[in-house]
Amino acid sequence: MSFYASTLIVYFFVDVLLAWALNLQFGWGGIPNFALIMFQAAGAYAAAVVSLGPDTGVNSFQRYVFGASLPFPLPLVIAALTGGLLAAVAGSFSLRRMRRDYQAAILLIVSLIAIQVVSNAVGLLNGSNGLTGVPRPLSGLLSGLTYDGYQWVYAAWAGAIALAVYLLVARLGRSTWGRALRAVRDDEDAAATIGLNPLGLRMQAFVLGGVIAGLSGGLLVEFLAAWSPAAWGYAETFAVFTAIILGGVGNIWGVALGTLLVQVIFLQVPTFLPQVGYTGLIDALQWVLIGTLWLVCLAIRPRGLIPARRYHAVPPAPGPGTGNPR
Amino acid sequence: MLILQALGFGVVSAALIAIGAMGFTLQFGLTNVLNISYGGVMTVGAFAAFGAGELHLPMALEVAAAPLAAALLTWLLGRTLFAFYARRGAGVFEMVMVTLAVSLILQYGIDAASGEQIYRFSFPQGASLHAGVFTFTVTQLVLVALALAVFGGLEFLLRRTRLGKALRAMAVEPRLARTCGIPTGKIVNVVWLLSGALAGLAGLGYVINSLTIDASVGTGFLPLVLAAAILGRAGSTRGAVLAALLLGLVTEEVAAAGGAEYSTVAGFGILAIVLLTRPAALAGQATAKAEITV
Amino acid sequence: MSPGPVLDVRNVSVRFGGVAAVRDVSLQLRDREVVGLIGPNGAGKSSLLGALGGQIAVASGQVLLGGQDITAAPPYRRARLGVARTFQHTSTFDGLTVYENLLVSALGAQGSGLRGSLAGGRARRQRLAVAAEATWSRLREFELADMADRYGAELSGGQRRLVEIMRCLMRSPRVLLLDEPMVGVAPHLVQRIQADCARIRDSGVAVIIVEHALEVVEAVCDRVVVMASGQVVAQASYAEAMSSGAVREAYFA
Ligand SMILES: Nc1ncnc2c1ncn2[C@@H]1O[C@H](COP(=O)(O)OP(=O)(O)OP(=O)(O)O)[C@@H](O)[C@H]1O
Ligand SMILES: [Mg+2]
Repeated sequence: MSFYASTLIVYFFVDVLLAWALNLQFGWGGIPNFALIMFQAAGAYAAAVVSLGPDTGVNSFQRYVFGASLPFPLPLVIAALTGGLLAAVAGSFSLRRMRRDYQAAILLIVSLIAIQVVSNAVGLLNGSNGLTGVPRPLSGLLSGLTYDGYQWVYAAWAGAIALAVYLLVARLGRSTWGRALRAVRDDEDAAATIGLNPLGLRMQAFVLGGVIAGLSGGLLVEFLAAWSPAAWGYAETFAVFTAIILGGVGNIWGVALGTLLVQVIFLQVPTFLPQVGYTGLIDALQWVLIGTLWLVCLAIRPRGLIPARRYHAVPPAPGPGTGNPR
Repeated sequence: MLILQALGFGVVSAALIAIGAMGFTLQFGLTNVLNISYGGVMTVGAFAAFGAGELHLPMALEVAAAPLAAALLTWLLGRTLFAFYARRGAGVFEMVMVTLAVSLILQYGIDAASGEQIYRFSFPQGASLHAGVFTFTVTQLVLVALALAVFGGLEFLLRRTRLGKALRAMAVEPRLARTCGIPTGKIVNVVWLLSGALAGLAGLGYVINSLTIDASVGTGFLPLVLAAAILGRAGSTRGAVLAALLLGLVTEEVAAAGGAEYSTVAGFGILAIVLLTRPAALAGQATAKAEITV
Repeated sequence: MSPGPVLDVRNVSVRFGGVAAVRDVSLQLRDREVVGLIGPNGAGKSSLLGALGGQIAVASGQVLLGGQDITAAPPYRRARLGVARTFQHTSTFDGLTVYENLLVSALGAQGSGLRGSLAGGRARRQRLAVAAEATWSRLREFELADMADRYGAELSGGQRRLVEIMRCLMRSPRVLLLDEPMVGVAPHLVQRIQADCARIRDSGVAVIIVEHALEVVEAVCDRVVVMASGQVVAQASYAEAMSSGAVREAYFA
């Protein structure tokens, strides 16, 4: 029980990072990032290979590049940087002015092709079998702990990272930068006429989101100790969209609530239930239900459970009624 | 030598991509719904043919099952589900999300129903024919001929018939077309059916060529189809065919040159290069305020 | 102020594929001048504004702002150099409140940098306070203070137009380009905007107004430029232009 609870808590923190990344990119920046999960995967792979030892090529059961046995917390830093770097590359051709459905399609294509590459190029990241045996951070230092104890320490660590990212995104959302980003989201041409650089602002949001998504991947892979192409299909991206739209796009707490409902309660809890049918049946049915959930949610509550908060402007001291000029 | 032979394979994959991309672009150009569920529909078509084969139905029925099932499904989706959200004022992005949800439901529904298995898809390939360095099976030649026939048929439909002219008018100016008494409802029906049938054919061709079938064939094939449709500009069948030819040749050439795992990436590289160097190709489409007609 | 024209348009052409929307148009705009740009539907007025604002690339010709060639500058850079404009379609930021629509414009690019807005500090707070003050006084001036917290999406067509114009004014531009600013605006507010145009002009801004309502043009414009089929057919005072045969032909041909 305690094991399940700690695992679910880690998942929640990881998923909420990803949801905040998407909220930054899509909720505030208007970028329909259908490749979101790719940035998490990039972080996960990066953290995995740099914390694994060098691939000697002889009698190793998996093949990969860049093995470096880097100590904690360097793999996480590299995960975040990789996510950001990949976002800069993908953003360079997908963020320019175009119809939003085109943009979504192009990012989806990027994501689907990335999976094909990683699955087929075995020498790169061990193909479709994925990487296993990723060392868990500080397991030497914390070797006094029980397995269960370690899980809880990890959950706390994930929570600390989530808190830090929360403080960052909350601040970004309130900032003048966040407001400028939302202006670009609403009307990019009009935003340019007030001196804002739409491409620049969107790129910043995209890269920041990429960093956060990469970080979430690093955090997850060090917990799971394994990562493979099965973990980052387009369905996972769709689930994050469903979560933030159900919770309330643009509202950090709404997004967290949506994550709890969709990612944790709906998608993760059933994996601990006894198996029904053949392996994978429940998984498949879950995705069918997620698709249905989104269709229902769009039909009955398109603005989400906790809609974005309205900004209340405070008039200066004399008050708007007094001292009216003219 | 290998490089030359790959040209032959390239033409075959181009034919498959082209069939899919023509159906996609026709529907996208008219309705303005970027229909991601097209991938799932291709899978449904392929499975319909597979099912007919398992039941030992005659081959003609097996082949016909794919476009029929896919056309029916697409028409139903378009007229009920997509129309429902369009009436409620969904924008282009919401519509993509709706079609993505449908794609997910189709893919994983089939996944669950098929027991997550990969099946052999046996289909007679016919004799191998040689022409110089090129080798084609009869079936491959039939696929290429089918693509050409579809292209010719669509061109004829769009440019020579009244229905086709009305369809093109409607794609450009939906509001005007409606007030001019063009039977828009009928045209939309035709487009959903036609696009679905082509999705079914493309899905069938894909599994005939790869000899295996599972729940993800359509979504696996979708990126190339989508890329061809986007490269060729929405609504342009000629553009779709040219883009498919380019993508088919490049992917097979890269595979032949020893980078099988990078072949689709190369295809995608073309899309990225076009986006970077000719943003005007998309800019015109970007500024138009898209009206969804379903 | 520089002695030459503030905006100098030299032989500008705009093409959309085969359509020549603007053909070899030259015009000059001096400081403190309101020019009415009129002409029948499809004459190329909006396309010309697009060429001046940078939204549409020119096929040939040059655009100079205060003597500086801005033909190749992207829209946001032109905006920073002092070109402000509205569009024919509504373009409020619908997910921002009225107050935020103006504030984001008052802060502009300098006030919206990622680093600047994350780092705390006196300078940032100072800038915000100044922008907020300017926003409130603008809101009161246009009697929209009690709408400050409405989302752009919750406004009427006329209110949106007003917000769009106010948003331009927050930037103290050198050149203001208005594309059909009176569409959907309530009559008493039309008067209001007219008066404001005059005031804006007197504060040293040069204005181009595209407008179909000729009584508005007559009331506020110092002179008019008449376009038809992409070409300038007349540049004169309103009265002269209206009595010219070429203009009649442009409208009624
Ligand atoms: N994005 C575009 N793509 C293709 N053609 C265009 C585009 N925008 C405008 N045009 C064409 O350019 C010509 C000039 O259009 P423009 O909008 O500049 O006219 P206008 O004078 O502003 O008309 P209105 O008074 O109706 O606003 C028209 O023939 C129009 O069809
Ligand atoms: Mg116009």
